[in-house]
Parts: sequence; structure tokens; C-alpha cells
Amino acid sequence: MEIIKSEDLSFTYPGQEKRAVDSVSFKILPGEFVVICGESGCGKTTLLKLLKRELSPNGTLEGEIYYMGTRLGELDDRTAACEIGYVMQNPENQVVTDKVWHELAFGLENMGVPTPEIRRRVGEMASFFGIHEWFQKETSQLSGGQKQLLNLASIMVMQPRILILDEPTSQLDPIAAADFINTLHKLNRELGLTILLVEHRLEEVFPIADKVAVMDRGRLLLYDTPRIIGSELKEKYQNHPMLLGLPSPMRIYQQLDARDDCPLTIREGRDFLTRNYQKEGRIQSPEREKPVRHREKEEELAVHLKNIWFRYERALPDILAGVDLRVRKGEIFSILGGNGSGKTTLLSVISGQNKAYRGGIKIFGKKIKEYKSGELYRHNLALLPQNPQTVFLKTSVAEDYKEIGKVMGYGKEELEEDIARIAGQLNIQELLPKHPYDLSGGEQQKAALGKMLLLKPRCLLLDEPTKGIDAYSKAVLRGILDNLRKEGITILLVTHDVEFAAQISDRCSLFFDREVISEDTPVSFFSNNNFYTTAANRMARHMYPYAITCEDVVALCRKYGRKSI
Amino acid sequence: MDHFSSYHPSVLLVYYVIVLLLTMFTVHPVLLVCSLLGGILFFAATNPLKALGKNLIFYLFLFFLLALTNPIFNHRGETPLFFMNDNPVTLEAILYGAGVSVMLIGIMFWCKCYNQVMTSDKFVYLFGKAIPKLSLVLSMALRFIPVFKSQMKKISQVQKTMGLYTSDSLTDRVIGSIRTLSALLTWCLENSIETADSMKARGYGLKGRTNFSIFCFRMDDGILLAALGAFLCMSGVGYQQNVFEFYYYPSVSPIPTGAGAYLQYSIILVMMLFPSILEIKGRIQWKLLRAKI
Repeated sequence: MEIIKSEDLSFTYPGQEKRAVDSVSFKILPGEFVVICGESGCGKTTLLKLLKRELSPNGTLEGEIYYMGTRLGELDDRTAACEIGYVMQNPENQVVTDKVWHELAFGLENMGVPTPEIRRRVGEMASFFGIHEWFQKETSQLSGGQKQLLNLASIMVMQPRILILDEPTSQLDPIAAADFINTLHKLNRELGLTILLVEHRLEEVFPIADKVAVMDRGRLLLYDTPRIIGSELKEKYQNHPMLLGLPSPMRIYQQLDARDDCPLTIREGRDFLTRNYQKEGRIQSPEREKPVRHREKEEELAVHLKNIWFRYERALPDILAGVDLRVRKGEIFSILGGNGSGKTTLLSVISGQNKAYRGGIKIFGKKIKEYKSGELYRHNLALLPQNPQTVFLKTSVAEDYKEIGKVMGYGKEELEEDIARIAGQLNIQELLPKHPYDLSGGEQQKAALGKMLLLKPRCLLLDEPTKGIDAYSKAVLRGILDNLRKEGITILLVTHDVEFAAQISDRCSLFFDREVISEDTPVSFFSNNNFYTTAANRMARHMYPYAITCEDVVALCRKYGRKSI
Repeated sequence: MDHFSSYHPSVLLVYYVIVLLLTMFTVHPVLLVCSLLGGILFFAATNPLKALGKNLIFYLFLFFLLALTNPIFNHRGETPLFFMNDNPVTLEAILYGAGVSVMLIGIMFWCKCYNQVMTSDKFVYLFGKAIPKLSLVLSMALRFIPVFKSQMKKISQVQKTMGLYTSDSLTDRVIGSIRTLSALLTWCLENSIETADSMKARGYGLKGRTNFSIFCFRMDDGILLAALGAFLCMSGVGYQQNVFEFYYYPSVSPIPTGAGAYLQYSIILVMMLFPSILEIKGRIQWKLLRAKI
């Protein structure tokens, strides 16, 4: 018997014409691992919430949902709460209590399980998830990845039969995200748990999924095995924005119109290329003449750091140790690096939030200390923080924007002109009257960027700009940054997103061991790295070592042609 | 640190209540000295020497201050030592001041250790037994405080880099913090909806909620509790026999002596020193164990 069955399910939010979920029918069998993907705002979250009765939103619901053959509405409270587990996006907000052990026990307390039983189940679960090492800790001391693992574990102690997860890894760094997905895979493989997962990061989940559902504007477009999705999505829906979000091997496969099985993993992708395409004859670096490595003159530099040392407190270890960084005017410079390596701290030092205890920082040739109060932030430097929610203070985006006018001393007409221009540039006109918290992650990001642009900076610092946004929003953001570069704005961004950095940057560098090392153009940076490089490069490096993006690989494949069989 | 505090929270609470009540409601010098000794030793056993030294210096100063202030304002007592502005400074008043300051300092040291022994989760656990809802609310509040703090810092830093209200003038700083606070409130409300969802999703509100704790009541806890009960009975007997009777005014009464009294004193001493004995014993045992390897 299918564990969840939905029949012709539709849902409309109150006061809206359009259906958020539009006649969706599907079945999930016990033990299946199902991934739902789609653009943000396509109704994925609404669909998931409808499946979890306690969270189902207000509005008109048509059609039926069955859980193990019973209508969801007719389930008794205890079964509905315990057997359907739900993990949300934000790791922070789901934590209820102050201690890890209490958090694990919270669900069981609600179920009224006696203490000895709770003790056993919590102990068992903590060991399974490897939580025992931080079992006694306070929840506020955990990292994002640990918090999300705790959220998962505290659902699992209730022994659910199906686990529903709404973008659980979007706020995590790549390593924590991969760990989390692996844990899910383990649960599915070893316990036979049914999993329904909404994800942006498809590279890791496609190979382990049994079924993939593609949603678009509330409708279920496709529902099949990943391999079939890979070939069908392209055939049926050319230029669908979802194509951008697929794993690199699938994207390359689709763009090449090859007649072969659709590759899902890097390994399959490599085999696919070897089987079908000619190797590059004489390997040539695409940069024919090596760029002259001249020391840039001081006037050419937007940001210049010389031997910067920083620590938060005297007794704590150094976070930055002798950082040298030269960002040229008008370029996009990416700093990549692991989590907690100090990238965000570096930005806070450049933007003057924190002060280095040794070394010198020059912004546009002028020492940072010589900028008088606030002058640095007017027409010079703007920092877009990791969490765009911290940018907004007012009840609508427009009001927040107007406030900037006051600070910058713009006239009323000038301000309105500027707002209109920037809103047009970012394509956010319809967001202006909304409350900032009502926007989706990608929209918040754009609105926050708009506020920064009103400061008319010459240099823009971005902290993890791709965190928690989907592939389509990433492509939009790339377009925006490209335009800003054309206007002559220098952009310095720190990110873990290798693919994004490869596509956008003029130069990349790695932040490691408290220093910025190995700065280079993206092509030589990524083609010289073996592990820390894009999926497309890992897949094609045995044939085209200098191809770093999917587009590069596709172009080279076309150039050298198919193998004649 | 972990030898005494590993006892069950309820036993720890009983112990603390007895110690504090005994110290606060007596002026008997032997009792007070025992309590002070116990407090200082326990503090010494659980803190680095440097902290102990600092505290001792501070409290020594406090001791003299209190002991000397009392006779200046209080002129009761039979044995004037000298006259100050025509007011007698009496021996009894000085002794009384000394006695009271020993009591105060003893309580201070016990309270310092209390914070280390009775951590927030133990407190929540104890009071959760009586009022289950309150314990959950307390636990949620304790989670919320650090989250609130870090978000506040983030918001104010971001606002600073946008150049909003950042000059050093007072008005700017006040307006800046008000704005941060209001943004923080919106943020809290917005995000607590998700927390509420997470609670609902895990079945909060179902009938028959239980309270889980990681503390279990072991044999040792029972023994200590029984010992504390026996101690209370003994003290009751001592009270009946007027062993604990002591007064400063009009003249200092003699400290009761005799076999019964000595027995009482030694029991109190053992009871006051119990946590520190436990700590020191634990350390010696550890050293011995290590030495045998």
C-alpha cells in the first residue's frame, strides 16, 4: 500500500485567484526516496505543508490526501503528529529548548512517553547520529550543520514512517550539506525510511533518489526516475528554468543532444564523454598569452590589504594572519574557502566593522582610518551581509529605500529616480510595497542588494550571495553582477559556491589557514585544483583540462566532435 | 567540580537550603566559622588559586569594614573599650560585627559555588516538576537569550556599514539602538512563528505530556539524603539541649561546652566540609589511580 497518495490535490490561499497547488496527483511507496524540485515560489513548500496536517496553511483545499489508506483529516492526532516527520529550512528557528538532550526528548515528552523509554530512545538516536559528543551542550553553541542534524534526530526519535524535508540544506555550507544528505541516504538505505525531500542542490540528491518530481507554477510537470527526468525534461520543455538547476553531468548531456543514457554522477559523466567525444588534440590554455603579472599601481587598486592581522580578543587565536589582498578597480574578485575559515571576518575588517591590530588597509588608495565617520559608506563601500534580513528595519522595502535618501542627502526627485532606476535594474518593482519578511530568500537578497546600491558604492562586498537561493535566482544574480561590473563597480565576494565563482569572477583565490592564497584567473585557478573545483571540470578534465563551466565543456565537445564508431 | 555536583539536583537543593538556613539564622560563632570554612574550602576546591586569592583579599577587606562599622553605630553592650564623641565603643558590638561579617562572607562563598553547582538545566528540572509548563518556558527562554544577542549584534553592525545613524553623537546612538531594537522585535516575531510550527509538528499540545530529564536518582543520592535527614534530627536534639544558644548583648554569652556540644560541633563541621572533602578525596583518588598505572 502506498504510504502517501494524493488525488487531484489543489490549494488556493485566501484572497488569491491563482492556485498555489494545482491538481497534483502522486503516490509514494514505502521506502522510496522522492525529491521534489522546482523554481522558488512554485508551490513546493505549500504542497509539503499540506501533507503535514499540523502545518497545513489556511485556504481552500480540493482533492484528497491519504496516509496509509486513511484520509489525512481522519487520522487521530497522535498518529498524525508522530508518524509524519517534518524538517524545515532554517536550522535555527526549529530548535525549541536550550539543551541538546532536552531538544531530542521534546517530541517524546509531547507524546507522553515515560522517562526510562525516552532515555533509551534518545540514547539510541544520539548514537546513531553521532550526537553523543555534544549531547550535554547548549543548543546555541552548535554550528548550523549540527543544528540541522539535531532537528532531524529530534524528529527521528518519534519514529516516523515518512520524513518530509523542506530544503533542509539551503542554509548549510557544502560540506555540512553533503553530510546531511548522506545521513538521509543512510536512513533510507538502512532503516527503509520513506523520504520526501525538496532540494536546490541536486548534484548530491539525484544519484540517490528513486523518483524525482518537477513542479512548475503549482502543477506537477513530471514524476519519474531521475534518469528519465533528465531526458524528458529537455524534450518536453525546452528552455525551462529548471534545466539550470540540474546536476552538471545532466546539463552537459542535455545541451549536447546526445543519444545515450543520461549520466547522473560525475563518474557516469566522465564515461559518457569518453564514450562519445574526441579528446582535445593539442591541449592549449585558453589564455594564449599569459597575463603579465605586473604589480598593479596603487591607483588601479580598489581594495588593498597589506599584512593584516586580526583577532577578536587578546586571549583568542588569530583569525587573520598576514593577509595580503589586492583587488583591482572594476573587477569581480572571489574568495573561496571552507566554513569558519574566517572569510566573513575578513570582510568585516575590510568594511571597517572590526579593526585589524596590525597592517594597513587602503580603500581606493586612501587609508581606512582617514575616512571620517560614515564617509567610507557613502559612495565608497557597501557590504551585503549573509543574512539579508538584517538589512531591513521598516515595514516595506520602499520605506527602507527612502531612508537611505535621508542619510545620503538626496533630493526627493533624485531619490525617486534612483529607486526607480535600481528597481528596474534588479527587476524588483513589484517587491517595493511588500514587507521585507514576506519575500522569498532570493527576493530578499535582491531587495537588500538594491538598498546597498542606493548608497552608490564604488566597491561592493558580498558575503555568501548565493546562500539559500535556487539555480534560477543565481543566474539572475549573475546577470545583475555582470551589469554592475560594466558600470565600473568593483565587486569582492566571499563564497563556498565553486560553480558560481567559476562563472562570474575575473580572479579567484582561496582563503586557507588565515590567509588568502593562490589568487589567479578562474581558468587556471580551477584547472590547477584537483578537488576544489567545479563539477564540470572534474567531469571533463581528462579530456579538456581547461574547461571549467558546463558551457565550456559543451563548446569543446562540439568543437572536437563525436567519436566515429 | 564534578564530584559534588554529580549528585541529584533535589539532593543538592536540600543541602544548600540546610546550609544557608543554618548559616543565616544563627549567631553561634562555632557554626559560623564552620560554614565560612566550608564555603571557602569548597570554592578553593572548584576554582583556580588565582580566583581564590582575589576573592580572599576582597572579602578580608569587607570583613574589617563590617566588623569596624558596627561598633561606630551600635553602642549596646556592657564593656566599653573607649569613647568616641561621647559614645561608648563596646567589645560586644565589635564581636557582633565580626560575627555578622563572618556569616555574610560565608554565605557569599556558598552562593558563588551555588552558581557552579546548580546550573540552569538543574534549576529548570527542579521547578519543572512542580510546574511543567514553566519549565518548558524557562528552557525556551534560555535558548532565546543567546540567539537574541547574536542577532542584535549582526543587525547593528550591518546598519553601521550602511552609514545610518553612525556618528558618535548621543542622539544618533539612541536613535540607532531604538531602530535596531524594533527591527529585532519584528525579526523575533517572524521567526518564532517557525518555532511554533516546529513545536506543533512534533506533537506539542497532545494530551498527557511527560517531563524528561537526564538526572537519575542513584543510591548515593539516597544515602546523602538520609544523612542530611539524620543531621537535621541531630541538630534538633542539639537545639533542644540549648547547644546553639548564643547572644552578644548585653554581654557575650559563653560558648556551650561539654561532650554533647562537641559532638554537635563536629557533626556540623563534617556537614559543612562535606563538598570540599568530596572534591579533595576525588582528586587524591585520581592521583593514586594514575600512580598505580
